[in-house]
Amino acid sequence: MHATIQKPLEEIIGYLGEGEKVFVLGCDNCAAKCRSGGVPETEAMARRLSEKGVKVVGWGVPGPKGVSLCKLSNTRKVFQEEYRDVLAKTDSILVLACGLGVHTVIDATSGEIGVHPGCDAIFGGEMVTDEFIAEYCRDCGECIIDYTGGLCPLALCAKGLLNGPCGGAQNGKCEVDRTQDCGWHLIYERLRAIGRLELLYRYQEPKNYAKYGAPRRLTLNGDQASFHFLGRVMNRQPVKI
Amino acid sequence: MSRLEKALHSGVFVVTSEVGPPKGTDLQGCLQEAEVLRDRVIAINVTDLQSSVMRVGSLAVCARLVERGLEPVFQLTCRDRNRLAMQSDLLSAWTLGIKNVLCLTGDHPVLGDHPEAKAVFDLDSVQLLKTVSVLNHGRDLAGHELEGAPDFFAGAVVNPGADPLELQLIKMEKKIAAGAQFFQTQAVFEPEKFARFMEKVRAYRVPVLAGIVILKSAGMARYMNKNVAGIGVPEGLIKELEATPKNQIRQKSAEIAARLIRELKEICQGVHIMPLGWADLVPEILEMAGLLEMAGAAK
Repeated sequence: MHATIQKPLEEIIGYLGEGEKVFVLGCDNCAAKCRSGGVPETEAMARRLSEKGVKVVGWGVPGPKGVSLCKLSNTRKVFQEEYRDVLAKTDSILVLACGLGVHTVIDATSGEIGVHPGCDAIFGGEMVTDEFIAEYCRDCGECIIDYTGGLCPLALCAKGLLNGPCGGAQNGKCEVDRTQDCGWHLIYERLRAIGRLELLYRYQEPKNYAKYGAPRRLTLNGDQASFHFLGRVMNRQPVKI
Repeated sequence: MSRLEKALHSGVFVVTSEVGPPKGTDLQGCLQEAEVLRDRVIAINVTDLQSSVMRVGSLAVCARLVERGLEPVFQLTCRDRNRLAMQSDLLSAWTLGIKNVLCLTGDHPVLGDHPEAKAVFDLDSVQLLKTVSVLNHGRDLAGHELEGAPDFFAGAVVNPGADPLELQLIKMEKKIAAGAQFFQTQAVFEPEKFARFMEKVRAYRVPVLAGIVILKSAGMARYMNKNVAGIGVPEGLIKELEATPKNQIRQKSAEIAARLIRELKEICQGVHIMPLGWADLVPEILEMAGLLEMAGAAK
């Protein structure tokens, strides 16, 4: 899931022009789980903006329940049917979702209307509990975690080191912040637990950062999935459809 | 071959020290500190934006030391440069007459004076050592042939006080496999404990220079115990500093450093003195440690 957190209200108000009419739009999947763009938060944002004198023409969180705003086919349908009148009455849409949600709204509204981000997308995370979401994967395009017991050093080490900890770790805590676990200490403990400490001796080559670069695409054509970076295919996978 | 490499091969007890470039273009103080170390130490490390604080680069100061006939150890961290810049700086260093390079991870930018800077770490310290080896063999990381290859003497760092030590030793082995030919360590204050570490690494047959930090006060010692990974200044040393009148503290600091060096002489292949601004104490420390007439010292 994409973790998000609302931007400060003053920053959002700063995006809006004098007298700009705005519709507040949430996302019922990730942003709802992060409590940054679910039904209660979207309604509250509409109210808080109104109280500050912003012309809010309405708010909504497209269904069906639990659907992601970034599912373009659904969001487009919502704008064509249920929200048909929204585009006529507003100057812009404030999106309480990640940047993918913002872009989906641009696509769904054929790019005719202003779109503002109401949240900062902060990371892709595991929903450990309803109150705790943590980053364990950086979407780097080249997974190496079989060598690290399934724990990603890119996500868990502040420096993203691939060949073991820096010299700053102390009592299993990170040099950068002594309240945080050293990622390599976690990897060490994990490999010890599964009897695979020998993996720590393996030399990890520098990463292929072309797979981590932007823009990246995934295409699904017939019997093949392809991962693209710029015009290059970085990886292909057979698909049974 | 660098003087440092020659000295380490010869088996003499080797002393290195270091200077830190300034924030700003006035190199006078930094070069003066290096001058004090002339004929006292074999090589002088030049730190690379130590503590992630923006300053003059290690490369420039290393080049100035070469001009003066002093032998630098070019410290290169992975924090600020991608693999293109790192390889380029290494080639540049060689063309400037720099023969020793110390490959480090580098502190995180968050700890420095530009905490919002992008942390690069395109390579890590093991990969950087491998990069130096690859360049030494006349290729770049992409496999392309070089017109003229360097022949660096590459070193690395190790923290003997790290916990768990096993993890640190595994990384040390990886560094050696990647091309590390010598090690400098985090500050050592407990020779007996350090001797046990040396027992564990003796089989690697790679020279180790124990880190000596000049203790300037009891407060500094306490601060390091609390904040610096793997450092344990014994309570006895702290008490000794506390009991010293202010006007005699430099003398005491030098005494403590010299005592440590004397004890380390039998344990490892040399010491690396980090004076942290008190470079002028180094000659006195070496004299007290019986190392003033050191064989092979930088001329």
